[in-house]
Order: sequence, then structure tokens, then C-alpha cells
Amino acid sequence: MSRFFTTGSDSESESSLSGEELVTKPVGGNYGKQPLLLSEDEEDTKRVVRSAKDKRFEELTNLIRTIRNAMKIRDVTKCLEEFELLGKAYGKAKSIVDKEGVPRFYIRILADLEDYLNELWEDKEGKQTALASRFLKKAPTTDEDKKAAEKKREDKAKKKHDRKSKRLDEEEEDNEGGEWERVRGGVPLVKEKPKMFAKGTEITHAVVIKKLNEILQARGKKGTDRAAQIELLQLLVQIAAENNLGEGVIVKIKFNIIASLYDYNPNLATYMKPEMWGKCLDCINELMDILFANPNIFVGENILEESENLHNADQPLRVRGCILTLVERMDEEFTKIMQNTDPHSQEYVEHLKDEAQVCAIIERVQRYLEEKGTTEEVCRIYLLRILHTYYKFDYKAHQRQLTPPEGSSKSEQDQAENEGEDSAVLMERLCKYIYAKDRTDRIRTCAILCHIYHHALHSRWYQARDLMLMSHLQDNIQHADPPVQILYNRTMVQLGICAFRQGLTKDAHNALLDIQSSGRAKELLGQGLLLRSLQERNQEQEKVERRRQVPFHLHINLELLECVYLVSAMLLEIPYMAAHESDARRRMISKQFHHQLRVGERQPLLGPPESMREHVVAASKAMKMGDWKTCHSFIINEKMNGKVWDLFPEADKVRTMLVRKIQEESLRTYLFTYSSVYDSISMETLSDMFELDLPTVHSIISKMIINEELMASLDQPTQTVVMHRTEPTAQQNLALQLAEKLGSLVENNERVFDHKQGTYGGYFRDQKDGYRKNEGYMRRGGYRQQQSQTAY
Amino acid sequence: MASRKEGTGSTATSSSSTAGAAGKGKGKGGSGDSAVKQVQIDGLVVLKIIKHYQEEGQGTEVVQGVLLGLVVEDRLEITNCFPFPQHTEDDADFDEVQYQMEMMRSLRHVNIDHLHVGWYQSTYYGSFVTRALLDSQFSYQHAIEESVVLIYDPIKTAQGSLSLKAYRLTPKLMEVCKEKDFSPEALKKANITFEYMFEEVPIVIKNSHLINVLMWELEKKSAVADKHELLSLASSNHLGKNLQLLMDRVDEMSQDIVKYNTYMRNTSKQQQQKHQYQQRRQQENMQRQSRGEPPLPEEDLSKLFKPPQPPARMDSLLIAGQINTYCQNIKEFTAQNLGKLFMAQALQEYNN
Repeated sequence: MSRFFTTGSDSESESSLSGEELVTKPVGGNYGKQPLLLSEDEEDTKRVVRSAKDKRFEELTNLIRTIRNAMKIRDVTKCLEEFELLGKAYGKAKSIVDKEGVPRFYIRILADLEDYLNELWEDKEGKQTALASRFLKKAPTTDEDKKAAEKKREDKAKKKHDRKSKRLDEEEEDNEGGEWERVRGGVPLVKEKPKMFAKGTEITHAVVIKKLNEILQARGKKGTDRAAQIELLQLLVQIAAENNLGEGVIVKIKFNIIASLYDYNPNLATYMKPEMWGKCLDCINELMDILFANPNIFVGENILEESENLHNADQPLRVRGCILTLVERMDEEFTKIMQNTDPHSQEYVEHLKDEAQVCAIIERVQRYLEEKGTTEEVCRIYLLRILHTYYKFDYKAHQRQLTPPEGSSKSEQDQAENEGEDSAVLMERLCKYIYAKDRTDRIRTCAILCHIYHHALHSRWYQARDLMLMSHLQDNIQHADPPVQILYNRTMVQLGICAFRQGLTKDAHNALLDIQSSGRAKELLGQGLLLRSLQERNQEQEKVERRRQVPFHLHINLELLECVYLVSAMLLEIPYMAAHESDARRRMISKQFHHQLRVGERQPLLGPPESMREHVVAASKAMKMGDWKTCHSFIINEKMNGKVWDLFPEADKVRTMLVRKIQEESLRTYLFTYSSVYDSISMETLSDMFELDLPTVHSIISKMIINEELMASLDQPTQTVVMHRTEPTAQQNLALQLAEKLGSLVENNERVFDHKQGTYGGYFRDQKDGYRKNEGYMRRGGYRQQQSQTAY
Repeated sequence: MASRKEGTGSTATSSSSTAGAAGKGKGKGGSGDSAVKQVQIDGLVVLKIIKHYQEEGQGTEVVQGVLLGLVVEDRLEITNCFPFPQHTEDDADFDEVQYQMEMMRSLRHVNIDHLHVGWYQSTYYGSFVTRALLDSQFSYQHAIEESVVLIYDPIKTAQGSLSLKAYRLTPKLMEVCKEKDFSPEALKKANITFEYMFEEVPIVIKNSHLINVLMWELEKKSAVADKHELLSLASSNHLGKNLQLLMDRVDEMSQDIVKYNTYMRNTSKQQQQKHQYQQRRQQENMQRQSRGEPPLPEEDLSKLFKPPQPPARMDSLLIAGQINTYCQNIKEFTAQNLGKLFMAQALQEYNN
């Protein structure tokens, strides 16, 4: 920067001095100090805005922070240096201190320093070698240096005591600080406006662009003051605007301002400061204004620097720069800001308000690109739009659907309609364009997933399911990159929840099984990191994973998710368990559900259920007995409403669906469990017991009979179910199992016998193909043949 | 099964159901040529064992204790017993031997038989044929030749007939256990099968005349309803449990056989390899000879082909024994039950 100032302008300015300071400091080997000075510098330019008190105190706290850091790493030299600076700063702040009283942090640091020093002295004997080695590592200091350092420390301690007493004195008399303030006051005025051009220079395009290039050359270099650069660029815009240099130049500079705003953060993990963010949004908006106002400006990243046309008004203006990339970057920054804000704070809400602005910008860019951009660009901006639309529930459209337009509310309706198209229509339009035009697989995949998600969110289950099946994403999603996989997981989960709302428990269960069975739902949905795997990944991986997290406002409620999963599992598993009670080969439908049941059983004392899981377990137990009323009261009550059910957009509909499901499945369970004690049951009784209407009961029982789950027949005239009693009893079942086991035992035994025969060669052949083996058995004798005959 | 009752004390508890079995047990017991031909138990001991189980044992938990008595000719008379204390993990330093010695010394002071003649154990649905029982009975029999183990089955007893059996290890099994060689060959050589692992010794319960008199008197006073468990027709639970246990054992047996099978296969495979190796060696040697070179040096074949570790067959023997017990249990139980059912049917018809 200093070079720029010496070459680009002959006027001497304060900031160039500070720039030189910047350059020289790192030579001393103290990189840590740099950012501090930078911020100080920035402060100086803004002095007019801040109150003097804040500024002074901030200066002090900054110094104190560095001192503390130095203390931590036992860098005594640095400590001393900073301490001296602190002393000076305190002197400057004198007048304020006199007004406000001595700041507590100042006293604290003094006390801490004293303790620290005493400790150091005491420790000295023991730690000498360690300290020495540390010093040796830092810089080639020898013992003498160390002694000097110790002397310094002594001095410092003394000084500190002096200062303390002085400070006490100063509290009483307050007549010293005034002149300090006055002297300092003069400086910022000089610093305030870094001069761009020499006075009297004629401002032309060439000059401005030359300047711009000069500024840009410093970009990305070590030691460049990024804040100042932004400042300069903004000044340049002003100058350009004042001198009517035309829109081309302004657009060009604006592009660069935004780029340097993005550059402001040195690494990927940190996020933009709110003020920067605001500036960035404003800037993009202004840029868009210009672009819309001047349709003759062409913007593109493929325009070469040389072929740019910034001021020749006769031809269309051509500017290098890509608005799309800027917007994409902006979106990323927004995500980063959301990721890094505590989601339960007011701040988050504040940031979230910006989302509307982001959306508006994206929309504007979309409109712009629809006119001028290539299809590829359009696809990209569409995807961006989709990503900002898919997770939002469209209440307006929902409302419109619920209340068909009537005469009375027509005007309102029209108004609502005018406000914007349904998000469903919008999604449809955008996605279809992408399906048709996109050539990169990733954008299409994302668009499909978002589309499915949107469908699912709005309870359009069949569309969502069909789209999911048609896309064949389930087969090859594991090859996608993690963010897309996270999106896929989110979509599957949303699909499952949608199925559940429609009363399709089986589909819901299947969709959620993958996510829930792993027990890592949180991680898979990108809604948080698991502590468990913290050891497995290193710092780098953790950073990457942290960046993948979905911002809080996109989160899917995990408790709701688990509840939906468990309830669907319950509705499937309990009748199944009842039907296959004594079946040895019974498999589990849902491992997780069984796990919860077992946890519930292990409890020595069963209180009334507290958590969602306990509720479901209690309900399952009730359902096992066919007691649907208790089951109902466990699943749907105040607590569960608050925790889960009220979170659905159509809570009441879901609840009625659920009640009905519970009734039906309870009826099935009841029939499975107790059919053996009945000779016949009247369907009317059943319909009374389960408060279902007769046709439903009839259809359920018929279905069970057809599926051969219930050995019974319907007696139409009397409306009763007559049991056949052909199911084996528990003993018979056991005996059957035993027979099976004995069969395998015999088989195994015969193999041993084969060995005894000494035909081990033959045995191996037998093992290789089943057909030959069978033959071998046949050959060997009547016993086996007999058995196989009886088996058929 | 072999609880033949002498004396008149407990005639009420079905002598019919055990009489047939007793003869069989006796026959089997007679086949072994061991020192003890008969076990005579005092009523006191029976009651003490029952009491011990009722106080401390529940479910699958077993209770154990020491039998005291003396040997008279070929008859082992058990006159007293005392339980092993149930020890928990808290008092890990509890010395059982110390406790037993102390107990016996104390009993001696009060003039009770203090000779250690065996031990007793309760069982859960007859599942007592285990390694632990085998090991401890072996050590008992090794130290005191006449010692027996009494197996008390509380569940059967609860159904109405006292189930108390005395077992000893057969001399053959003693031999094998002494050798501590459970390889297939050794067991084959010893010619041991699951049927000849344990021998049952017939039991006689003896009471003093005074007690018999008391029993007579009590029987006259006791109400009829007390004896109804015997006629209970609800049998499915018991049968189901037995089947379940039997099934578990069969599973274990299957696994064991598979293990044995793999072993056999491995051995035969190795045999083949060994054979091939030898042949190759021979051929090469012949070639060398024809070329006039010295033959290859002899190598230790056993080092080259380490025979696979043979699986211990004791476990499968025990399992087989256990399966046998279960089967007999089930057989006995179903036979009795069938009788009961027929009787119930007849009664029903008569009533109609």
C-alpha cells in the first residue's frame, strides 16, 4: 500500500504512515500484533462516530487482551512492551477516567499482573530450565538476555507499583489529562480523508481505472489493509459518480467493492460482520439498480479485461464480472452467518429478517439473468431460488386451498393472489426448467430433491413419491457429495413425515427407517455434530463438517421425527407381534422400537410417562392388550400435543387419522391375541368395543381372513365371526419347533457319520453342489428317502 | 424317580407313581459295582432340604448344602445336613471350607453324625446335568468314595409328589475325569455314553417310630383338599417349559456337532495334505536316487502339520445327558397326565 501511495499520489497522508508501520512490524517477528493494529486503524477513521469513552476503553481492553495472551505463553518481553503501551493509553484516557472512575478491568489486569509476576519469581528456580528452553526456541537469547529480561521485570514491577499509587493520586486530583486529549484530537483530522488524487488532477476514465487497478493490485497481499481498501474503493465510486464517468465505471468499481467485501474475512470459517453484510447487500442492490436501469451494459465473466468497454457510450458497455457468482457467494455468506449465530437469540431473528432481502436480490438477479444470461446461469440462479423456497410452508396457498373463493372474501383473495404465485407453481416452473436445460448432474439432483421436499411439505404425497421413484436417486445417492446427501436425507425424512400425515404408516416407517436406525439422525440431517465421534475426526474434518451444517431455520424437528417413526413402528409392530407371538422365526420390523420397549421394561418403577418415548412405550403396552382408549390417551394428550402434534400444519387432521389408525390396529391386535379364547364374536360387539363402524370392522376382519392371519369365517346372517380354532397351541408350536431343530440335528449327525464312513473325498464334492449331495443321501439308504417322502 | 418310601409316614404322597420307576432305578443302580447300593435318608434331612429351598431358592437359582451321615455296610445313611450360605459379592473373602469345618465341629459337639457323605442341590426343571455338578461330584467322590449328590426338584414336589434322587458318578466316568482327557479318542476308549455317566442310587426314607405315629395322627386330622395338586389338569405350562429347555439343549447339541464336524473335516483335509506331501517327497527321493543324489533329509511331519485341536467331548456328553433327563421328565409327566385326563374323562361321562 505504501508503494501505491508513494507512486500514485504525491500528497503525504497518515494512512500511508500506518501502512508503513504495518510493513515494518512483521519484520520484528510479531505477526500476532497485526490484526490488532489494523482494527485500531479502522477505528481511527471512524472516530467521529464513536464516543470518546468507548474508544479509549476499547483501546485499553485490546491492550489488556494482548497482555493476557502474552502472560499465557509466558512471553515476558512482549508483556512488558504491551504494559508500557497500556500505561500510555491509560494516560490518554485520563480525562475520561476522571469522569467515569477507574475502569475495573484496568485494576484487574494490574492485580493479575502482579500475581503473575510474583508467581514467576517463585517459580523461577524450578522452571528455569523450561523457561530458558522456551526463550531459546523463541529467539536465540542467552542467559544474559534472560537476566536482562528479569531486570526488566523488576523494573516493571516497580513501575507498576508506582502507577498504582499514581493512579490513586490521580483519582483525587484531576487536572492532568486535558492536553492529551487536545493533541490527539488533531491527528484524526489529518487521517480522515485519504486523498485519492492530487488536487487539480483532471478526473478521467483513464485515471480512475488506473487507480482502480492500483488498488486491486494490493488485493490479496500480505499486510494489505482490507478495510482501508474497501474504504478507498467506495471513495472511488463517489468520485466517479461525482465526475459523471458513466455507469460502466461505476459498475466495474462496484463489482470490485463487493469482491473485496467478501475478501475481508481471511479464512472460510469466520463469517461477515453484520455491518459488512449490510454494506454488501446494499451494494448488490445498487448494482442491480444500475444494471436494470441501463440495459445496454453487458456483464459477464467471459469478457476479457482488454475488451471491456467502460465509457464509450456509442457501443454497448461491456464490463467484466459475474453477478451470479457474487450472488452465490452472498448466499454462502448468509448461510455462514446463520450457522454462526446462536439460534435461540434475538440476534438470529434479526439475521433471519435479512433472508427476505436475500430472496429479493436473488429474484432480481433471476429476472435479470432470464433476460440476459445463458441457460446455465439461469439454471444456477433458479437453483438458488429453489433453495430459498423449498423449505418454506406456503401458508397463503394453503389458506386458499382451504377456503374456496367466495363472494364475500373475494377482494382479499384477489389481493392474496396478486401478492405472488403459489410456491408450488413456482417450484414446478423452476424445477422443470432445470430438468430440461441443466447439463450438470448436481443442479438437477438438488432441484429434484428440493421439489420432492416441497411436495412432501405440502402433503402432496403421491407426487413426491413418484418423483422420488422416477429420479432413481435412491440407487446412486451414495456417490453424491455430502451436502447433497444431507439434502437427500432431509428429503427422505420429510417424505416419511408426509406419508405419516396421510396415514400411510408403512411408507412412513420405510422412509424413516434408514435415518432412525443408525441413531445418528442429527448428524445425517446436518443439524449438529455428534460428540461421540469427536475423537475420530481431527480438527480439519470437524471444521469441514461444521460448515456443512444446515442453518437452524431449516431444521427438521428431531423429536417430531422420532415420534413419527416410533408411532408408525408401533402401529406396525404391535399387531405383528401379536400375530406371531410364538413364532420362532419372527423378525423385528423395527429394532429401535424394540429397544425402546426393552428400556421401558427394564424400569424398576413405572411412573406416568414423561418423555415422548415413554408415552409411546406406554401406548404400545396398552395396545398390546387391545385397549385402544388407553393407547389413545397416551398418544394424544396435552403433553404430546405440545411436543409433537401441534407442530404439524394440519394438526387436527393428523390427530383424527391417528385415532382411527389406533382403533384399527388395536382391533387387529385384539383379534390376534384373544381369538383363541373365542368360539365366535359378534361384529357389533367389536364395533362397539373399538368405536368403529360396522363396515370398517367387517372390512378389517375380511382382510385378515383373506391374508390367512385369522382362521375364521364370517357368518353373514348373524353378523358374527366364527373361529376355526386351527391355529396350533403354544405347546404344539413348541413341538413343531423342536421337531425342526431335531431335524437339523439329525442332519448334522449324519454328516459326522459320513466322515466315519471314510468317504471324505465324496463329502467335499457333496458340499460343493446341492444336487449331488441330495443324490448321495438317496443312494445311501431307505431311511432318508422315507423321511423326504413324509416331508412332502 | 427312585424315591421309594419306606415306613408309613408318607403313604399319602402317591406311591403308585414312583413304584414302577423305583424298580428301574434299582436295576440300574445294581449294575454298577460301587460301594453304595442304597441310600437311607432321615425324614429330617428331607424336610431340611425342602425348607432350605423354600427360604432361599427361587426361580432358576439353586441352593446347595452338605449331607452328613455314615456308611453301614453297603448302605449310606444320611442323618443330617446343613446348607451352604448364600454368598453375595459383598463378602468375597468368605471361606467356605472354614465354614464347613466349623459347622461340622459344632454339630459334633451336640452329638450329631459329623461325617461328610455328600451334598445336595436343588434343580430347576431337572436341569442339573452340568459341568459344575460333574466337577464337584468328582472331587467329592475322589475324596470320599461313598459320597452321593441328592437332587431335589422343587417344581415336581410342588405338583404333589416328592422328587428326590441320589446320584453317583460311575467308576468309568471317574476314571475319565481322573485322566482329565476329554478328547474323542479317550472317551471312545473309555466306552462312555451319556447313559453311563451317572448312576442312580435307590433312596429309602426312614423315620423313627414316634414320627410315624405322629404322621398317622396328622393324616387323620388333615383336610382332604390338601392333596388336590396331584390331580391338577393344567399341565401346559410345565410341559412348555420343559420343551423350551429341551429345545435350548438341542440347539447347543447342534452347535457342538457342527464344531465336531469342522474338526473332522479339518483333520481329514490335513491327512490328505500330509499324504500328498509324503508322496511327493517319495517321488522326489526316487528321482534323486536315480540321479545318484542323496535323499532329502527326513522332516518332522508333526511339526509341519499340526493336528487341529480336538474339541472336548465332555460338554456334548453332558448335553446329551441333560437331554436324556428332560426326555425322561417329559415322558413321565405326559404319562401321568394322560392317566389324569382319562380319569377326568371317565368322571365326566359318569357325571353326565
